Amino acid sequence: MKTIRETQKKYCSRALIFSIIVGFICYLAGLTPICKGLILGTLFSILNFIIMGETLPIRMNRSKGKTFFAALGSIFFRYLLLAVPIVVAIKFEQYNFFAAIAGIFSVQMIILFDHLFSLIFSRFQKQV
Amino acid sequence: MDFDLQSWITIAAFAGGGLCMGLGAIGAAIGEGFTASQASTAISRNPSLSGDILKSMLMGQAIAESASIFALVVAMLLLFSNFSADTWLMVYVLISSGLCMGFGAIGAGVGAGFPAGAACKGLAHQPAAGSRLTTNMLIGSAVCQTPAIFALVTAFILLFTDFTGRPVSPTWAAIIGAGLASGLGAIGAGIGSGLAAESGCEGIARQPEAVSPVTNVMLLGQAVTQTTAIYGLLVSFILIFKIVPATEALAPAMALLGAGICMGLGAIGPGIGEGLTARDAVRWIARKEKAIADITRVMLVGQAVSESTGIYALVVALVLIFVV
Repeated sequence: MKTIRETQKKYCSRALIFSIIVGFICYLAGLTPICKGLILGTLFSILNFIIMGETLPIRMNRSKGKTFFAALGSIFFRYLLLAVPIVVAIKFEQYNFFAAIAGIFSVQMIILFDHLFSLIFSRFQKQV
Repeated sequence: MDFDLQSWITIAAFAGGGLCMGLGAIGAAIGEGFTASQASTAISRNPSLSGDILKSMLMGQAIAESASIFALVVAMLLLFSNFSADTWLMVYVLISSGLCMGFGAIGAGVGAGFPAGAACKGLAHQPAAGSRLTTNMLIGSAVCQTPAIFALVTAFILLFTDFTGRPVSPTWAAIIGAGLASGLGAIGAGIGSGLAAESGCEGIARQPEAVSPVTNVMLLGQAVTQTTAIYGLLVSFILIFKIVPATEALAPAMALLGAGICMGLGAIGPGIGEGLTARDAVRWIARKEKAIADITRVMLVGQAVSESTGIYALVVALVLIFVV
């Protein structure tokens, strides 16, 4: 669990910092709905990733039947959770819809960028 | 019982939303389940690495889930937006966009599970290559999502294009055909890309020094695998943006609908077939790095031959749109 918690902490904090920086730039540029949409989506993306990791031991250390229902419950709950920022962005004009979608994928994007950056950096170091 | 246009639009939005999320959940669930099954095998082989394997599984599942989140976005948009009741075509737009994203998420979800599972197993065999394995898994899984992104783009274009002023017949068939071409066309490419990425992870676990050629050939194989999804996207765009003259005859409408079905179904087989070719090519390049030139050549020739059936589907679809 320690490794999973460290992974969650690493990517969730980076996703939040990234969205706050981009959101602040958008806010300064007068694009407040984009700022709000992005941060809203990111918060729910982080919650989804945390619940995904935290429910792993619940799903693994039980009987087959209980594991099935725990996994199913986790998926339903997480999808309901992810639906919240989308519905809010559709219903309220203060939140930009596309920015909220981008926010929902922020943790995944940070995981990808982190590994791509490490790959490029290690290749660059080898050349030097 | 009589329904007005607004009622039909609400019904279509609910049906489209249900189809979108229902179909979209299939692939991601299979992919995530496959990842977990491979992680279990890996933990039983090397229990001391359970933490790292679980971490790898978590990241793989997070990426594999993206396709079904695309479907969730479109489903929510269909369920909670207020759509204008200017034209009957909106009824078809709502159903088509739901079908498009629902079908489009299946292949990417299944495919992204393959590299994630292989990375978990590879980690148990070769713990020292963990970082390289995870990077390769993430790149491979991300590329698998491209066909689902094509379907998402098509669904958004369908939802945000103004069809007011277009004749209801035969445009309704073009709209449904567009959704099917892009949605069904994404299934094979998503699964095929996943097969190529799976053997990329296997290869790195077997031969960590061969990471560069394995990753390069994997990406080449995935790129070729996805061409049939691009054909589906192309046919969708033609069907959406081509202005067709109004007619009450059923034949022109069936030609447009047939074009979409032809391209969508015709892209499934080549996508998977090209993925199988790429999978074994990448697998053997990791074992025999010296034979990279020959294996790559055979892979590309094999993929081209497998692709030919997709090209036939494209040609027939174009004939149905422009000639018939």
